[in-house]
Amino acid sequence: MDRKRVPGPELSVAPLVEYPIDHERWTPQQEKRHDPKRQPEDLRPIYLKTGLISQASGSAYIELENTKLACGVYGPRPVKKIGQGFSGMGVLNCDFKFATFACVKRRNNTRQDPQEKELSQILSQALAPAVRLELLPKSVIDVYITVLESDGWGSCLAAAITAASVALAHAGIEMLDLVAGCSASYMQIGPSISSTTTETSSSSGAGNPITPQIQIFMDADTEEEKYEQGAIVLAYMPSLNEVTHLLQNGKAEGPIINQSVEHCMEACNKVYAVMHHALLESMKESKDA
Amino acid sequence: MASVADAVVPGQRLGHVQEFNVGAGTYALQDFIYASVVGLKRIMKQGGDNELPFMTVQRENSQSAIPEIEAIVTCKVVRVNPRFASVNIMVVDGKPCTDDFQGIIRVQDVRATEKDKVKIYNSFRPGDIVRAQVISLGDARSYYLSTAANELGVIFGTSVAGGSLVPISWQEMQCTKTRVIELRKCAKPL
Repeated sequence: MDRKRVPGPELSVAPLVEYPIDHERWTPQQEKRHDPKRQPEDLRPIYLKTGLISQASGSAYIELENTKLACGVYGPRPVKKIGQGFSGMGVLNCDFKFATFACVKRRNNTRQDPQEKELSQILSQALAPAVRLELLPKSVIDVYITVLESDGWGSCLAAAITAASVALAHAGIEMLDLVAGCSASYMQIGPSISSTTTETSSSSGAGNPITPQIQIFMDADTEEEKYEQGAIVLAYMPSLNEVTHLLQNGKAEGPIINQSVEHCMEACNKVYAVMHHALLESMKESKDA
Repeated sequence: MASVADAVVPGQRLGHVQEFNVGAGTYALQDFIYASVVGLKRIMKQGGDNELPFMTVQRENSQSAIPEIEAIVTCKVVRVNPRFASVNIMVVDGKPCTDDFQGIIRVQDVRATEKDKVKIYNSFRPGDIVRAQVISLGDARSYYLSTAANELGVIFGTSVAGGSLVPISWQEMQCTKTRVIELRKCAKPL
């Protein structure tokens, strides 16, 4: 049997037609989000549950509509790697993996590609300040993230941070606080750039400088990310009011970044409520069982 | 008694450092005590009236045990050489480890007296189950253990013939099948 590839079904089926013929692709010029029901500051509804991977010390599954990922935490266990010296602190080892079918483009299923390596590193940087590694000398905690479906890499990373910290708490590992993750994209909206410049220059004259209008879209999906100017991902400990990691890419002005950090912190507080609820639910379940 | 109101998650503020002492599952930051694990909040009263009660959080899902200094561990001897015996630590303070930790019992840590006359081969054999104490976190690989106390040493072993061994003195064990006496550093039965 071929274990390197996912074997296809024996029967062939006609492909699903994704869009009707009169389908119009979403662009930011429509002044609405890709999902028209969402306001710019709205997150997608979150489903979060602990304890789905039974053999792991702790686990969590998170779903933000089409972003779906599972996280398993193993450990603390002895350091196995030879050549690593004595360490009085524990080590947090994160492993971020996209399933082959997670993205629009098929991904490699064996090695970690550069993007996965980068995301693994960001994840461990975002989580390590919250975990009390000084209590676990000579041990390693392994965090495995498997993305089942990705809808926007920013939201994927944010969801991974959220799920991993819930899984760590579920594993009974001592932490300073839960870490909530949130992403935001800067989007240029309104009528296309050329028409905006002409209108503003003619109508307002001595008014504002000609700048395209930038809107902050929280928790952007893939379709919205195609048009983004830049994005940030914030990892934040809500009850200690501390930021553990901030990732910003693309181009943006200072005030926009400040504003989006504030938006993300607000959103993280909402995510924290979901995390809190999920952990209490897991306690209730273990009591019933 | 256990109610939903007592359930806490990491980072939840539990009280002021002037009201409580920091107990298990909590930590103090600046002037406040916070929970560090998921579980139920418990306030433990201490003997004296002027002593502060301990704020603790009882874990919901306990993390697997890891060895710490002075812990009593139960381990299995995997190989011996003239300088030390290598062991796999399986239980720490009565709590099982999900994954075995490596430890070594050096020849000078086998017993408290006549240390220069100790022979590892007359103290431990591969396959023995040993009760020992962690004396140091050791090097990059193994924890350092000691059996230099009466109640520490071999608690279970099999003889060359395959019968189980019963202790007859602090350094001899007898096979239940063949009555052959083998040398071990025995633990005093508790």
